[in-house]
Amino acid sequence: MTDATIGSRTRRPEVSILGQIVRSRLGKAILALLLPLGVLVLWQASGTNGAVAGGALPTPDRVWKAWLVWAFGKPGPMTLSPYVGSWADAIYFSAGRVAKGFGLAVLVGVPLGIMIGWSRLAASVVDPTIQWLRPVPITAWLPISIAIFGISDFGAVFLITIGAFYPIVINTTQGARDVDKNWIRAALMMGASQWDVLRRVVLPAALPSIFTGLRIGLGIGWTAVIVSEMVAVKSGLGYVLWDAYYVGRMDIVIADMVSIGLFGFLSDWAIVRLEHWVLKWRRLQNFNQ
Amino acid sequence: MGTISLRSVSKVYGGAREVVALDQVDFDVAEGEFVALLGPSGCGKSTLLNLVAGFETLTDGTLTFDNAPVTRPGPDRGVVFQEASLLPWLSVWENVVFGPKVQKLARSDYEPRAREILRVVGLEAFHEALPVQLSGGMRQRVGIARALVMEPRALLMDEPFGALDAQTRLSMQALLLDVWQTLKTTVLFVTHDIDEAILLADRICVMTARPGRITRTIPITLNRPRSIDDLTSAEFNRFKAMIMAEMRGGHH
Ligand SMILES: Nc1ncnc2c1ncn2[C@@H]1O[C@H](COP(=O)(O)OP(=O)(O)O)[C@@H](O)[C@H]1O
Ligand SMILES: [Mg+2]
Repeated sequence: MTDATIGSRTRRPEVSILGQIVRSRLGKAILALLLPLGVLVLWQASGTNGAVAGGALPTPDRVWKAWLVWAFGKPGPMTLSPYVGSWADAIYFSAGRVAKGFGLAVLVGVPLGIMIGWSRLAASVVDPTIQWLRPVPITAWLPISIAIFGISDFGAVFLITIGAFYPIVINTTQGARDVDKNWIRAALMMGASQWDVLRRVVLPAALPSIFTGLRIGLGIGWTAVIVSEMVAVKSGLGYVLWDAYYVGRMDIVIADMVSIGLFGFLSDWAIVRLEHWVLKWRRLQNFNQ
Repeated sequence: MGTISLRSVSKVYGGAREVVALDQVDFDVAEGEFVALLGPSGCGKSTLLNLVAGFETLTDGTLTFDNAPVTRPGPDRGVVFQEASLLPWLSVWENVVFGPKVQKLARSDYEPRAREILRVVGLEAFHEALPVQLSGGMRQRVGIARALVMEPRALLMDEPFGALDAQTRLSMQALLLDVWQTLKTTVLFVTHDIDEAILLADRICVMTARPGRITRTIPITLNRPRSIDDLTSAEFNRFKAMIMAEMRGGHH
């Protein structure tokens, strides 16, 4: 860090009130809420008797009430609706499948990516196949998945694994390929074995790329779980989404969509926190250079 | 211990256009000798050092270290890189003990040595720092420490102070003189800085490019121990004038 950059950091020109709001934490939170709140208000205002667009959609207050019942309602012996007190179950099934499928994709994708990036032989043998299979969208894997696993939990996990695998393996490969040659030379000079180099140099050096792959992979994992639950399993947020649509419960459909967004966001946030913690050296580097 | 010997060594880089980086080079470094390779950039200095380090393979000739052919890098030849090339996710301490650790040496054996070396290079207060938190000169001190902790029979240094500012460079040269004058290991030191080569080396090998060859060897008979004060002595300037004439002559 040079003196010039220190100077520019402290001698920042006077900022306007608007600029201060944009910089403060509370200000940022308020600005972030402006758009969704605006949409909510418009949406609510455009409805009559709790319905929008000629009854095709419910207003937000009805969605909220439906969600309260879905989340906290106590189903009695006479309850016929499946949307009473079953929200946590749907979350549990979907998030569990994402966790399993994503975990499997990480376990396979990261070591494979390191090998492809490190060894020319592994790259020649495996990389072309991965590149050929990659354009096949996860939806195209549905029939095979159902044929093999039937309407079962593992069918969904399989699809999530396939979807999350590609971005993870490709970004890991990229990271392992771009390792500074002198880091590897330095390690070899200090007596490191090939295994040491992979574990202690290539893997940590590839971590920034790996995390990029993890975030993209997790996003695809959420897409895959919804798609597969709509078709190949009979539980979870994706199943509820389709089922509620069939019985005309658009309030549940929208509450379901918001739930997917929320949990997708939370799982991404968890990975970002992990990255923040694991890549402390990287943050310092970006700050200092 | 620590003898380097090259016999008619050639190195040709393949690719779209072949580059003869070294052409039939004969070159020796004796035990405990400090030899500087001096020459303009692109003349093959790094190539020669990388061959000795075992980072590159030769195209032709024989290259031995302590009478055994060099086949791969190893802790018997400690390398100091131009940009230090520390592992940025490891602390200073972890960088320095990386070698002993992967060699599975006993902690009780290397830890006191690592602490002592970090003290000698003036970094005892920085064990926990990450490389990015250090200045260029401090990073290079770590680079030297991690090579020394392995007790190598030769130190191979590729323009180790080339990226540093003039003042830091002087203090690093002083440090290296101190360290070497106590350890007396063999050093192969690549530089394009004439002053640096005269100040540090027992012998300067002048290289020229296209094809890469060693054209002249000049013994530097300045008294040991030396210090950076020697940079202004009359004898120093006599060597400098001679080498500058040599290098100018080499271009014709
Ligand atoms: N990996 C490589 N592939 C192709 N050519 C190279 C490679 N490394 C070096 N060279 C070429 O070999 C010659 C000598 O390079 P180098 O040993 O790095 O010189 P110096 O260290 O003296 O600057 C230069 O012409 C350079 O372009
Ligand atoms: Mg060089």
